[in-house]
Amino acid sequence: MSIVFDNVSRFYGEVLGVNRVNLTIPPGVTSLVGPNGSGKSTLMNLMTGLIRPTQGEIRVLNIPPDEPERLFQLTGYCTQVDAFPRGLTGYQFLYSYLRLHGKPDAECRQLATEALERVGMAEAGNRLVAAYSKGMRQRIKLAHAIAHKPLVLVLDEPLNGLDPMARAETIALFREWGQEGRHVIVSSHILHEVDRISDQVILLSHGYVVAEGQIQGVRSEVTDQPIQILVRCNRPHLLASRLFEQDHVVEARVDSDNKGLLLRTRDADRLYLLLNRVVMETGLEVESVAPADEDVNSVYQYLIGHDGGTA
Amino acid sequence: MAVYKKTYQRYAGTLTPAWSRAFIIPRYAFEEMHRKRFLNMFFLASMLYPLVCAFLIYVNQNLNFLKLLPGAPTQGFLEVNSTFFMALLGVQSMMGFFMTAFVGPGLISPDLANNALPLYLSRPLNRKQYVLGKMLVLVTLLSVMTWIPGLLLWLLHGVLAGNGWMGQNLRVASGLFFGAWIWILVLSLLSLALSAWVKWKPAAGGLLFGVFFVAAGFGAAINGVLRTKWGNLINISHLVGSVWVSLFEEPMNRGAGAVFFRVAAGEEIPVWCCWATLIGICLVCLWLLAKKIRGAEVVRS
Repeated sequence: MSIVFDNVSRFYGEVLGVNRVNLTIPPGVTSLVGPNGSGKSTLMNLMTGLIRPTQGEIRVLNIPPDEPERLFQLTGYCTQVDAFPRGLTGYQFLYSYLRLHGKPDAECRQLATEALERVGMAEAGNRLVAAYSKGMRQRIKLAHAIAHKPLVLVLDEPLNGLDPMARAETIALFREWGQEGRHVIVSSHILHEVDRISDQVILLSHGYVVAEGQIQGVRSEVTDQPIQILVRCNRPHLLASRLFEQDHVVEARVDSDNKGLLLRTRDADRLYLLLNRVVMETGLEVESVAPADEDVNSVYQYLIGHDGGTA
Repeated sequence: MAVYKKTYQRYAGTLTPAWSRAFIIPRYAFEEMHRKRFLNMFFLASMLYPLVCAFLIYVNQNLNFLKLLPGAPTQGFLEVNSTFFMALLGVQSMMGFFMTAFVGPGLISPDLANNALPLYLSRPLNRKQYVLGKMLVLVTLLSVMTWIPGLLLWLLHGVLAGNGWMGQNLRVASGLFFGAWIWILVLSLLSLALSAWVKWKPAAGGLLFGVFFVAAGFGAAINGVLRTKWGNLINISHLVGSVWVSLFEEPMNRGAGAVFFRVAAGEEIPVWCCWATLIGICLVCLWLLAKKIRGAEVVRS
């Protein structure tokens, strides 16, 4: 059971929203990453049926998005828009929209209370939403999306406005939901947090899907950019001299503390074999070996670039 | 933010039927209305005329009561017929019009102005149900002000008059009911369409007056200048009045839509034209709503 986009395009008149998107989004946390105007919100609005594709077909757990009665019993959507009905408390806000799901009164009361507790708003639930801070409004929107216990959660910039503590707790929630087998689809500009959240990423630029999948897999497909590997060891100069004999190593930079070596190579497998040999031959003491650019930020820079244009 | 160790469980309880979703929407609209003293007062004031009518019907049928009043007629002084009920419908409809002008513009425009439609449409609720839910606010209010008191008065008089009066005047009851519903539908749809397109509430309310009164004046001007009667096609109260007359089976020169919906003699237009125009107005309103009620704002550049 996945979320499937089959050759989906959406145009706003002559303006491109997204074009020829083919995606299969499995359960877990999936991040949509891209610059402003890349099509993240369009993709989210398409999968929640708020806009219709110009062409192509979308199925969310085998349900077409133009059937809100079925779709939204399974789906929760936290939009980017900071809008609330006037005069309602946080609890009333959750309760009233839960009633739209057709659940009985007692069930709605319980679900509203649970959702408030889950986002740490139990005490503020009886205050007017209009009196909430930006972070509290963000949390109540999150509670609004999760209150009916959906299987698919679509969250547009859910970390905006949250303080660091709340961010960490929200990220923990996302991971928990992902591990429970739910589909959690998150858009975010904060790339290091996307790294912490995501099981897989979808990179978008100018309405096109530039890359998708687990970040390591995406990175390995970017073959025109040498892979960066950080080796922490006791004799980095020695290691650097041995590695420079190889043609696939294009750069080696010794850390200022003389205990680390940042390498750039076109062939990581050969580098690891060589590293083993050097250790065996010289008795080099290696503390750690870790990829330095297998993260969303690096992949984003390689594929999309600083200016938001596809590199 | 507490994190509970829970495994995912979907809600497995019973759900209310999908068609009933729209009934959730008016809930808070009524609560908000109830907080406004002016609207409460106006609503109560709109019940005065039916109450006076109920009193008159009672007195008219109760000769013993009349005998207590010095100088009062010894026989019924009031003819309770279709003209009486058309007058009632006319007065109550006009009260309903003012109520709609106060309430209607605030139904959709705040949701659009705040970009809050996704809150509704990312629930098991489609656009039709959203519009229906908003319309229910006006339909409920206008029903309580028009056909419900009308039918209650019809029943009251029927019970007091006896002698098969109800059987002989079924046409009046159906005229009241369907006549009021035509007015309710036209008024609600117009009000919602204006609320969707004009985000500033006072302007939307003003425009509703304009659609009725300015258009009526313009229609009269057309009639005067061109020496025709077809200018009445843009006079909504004329259209509704003509349809009412046909529903009550009144002669056009007698009932003539009563009080606020009077059709001037010689300016009558065929009833089918009135029906067709009213249906056309409703369809245009639905089209306007369909254009504006969208889950996500589409900005073209």
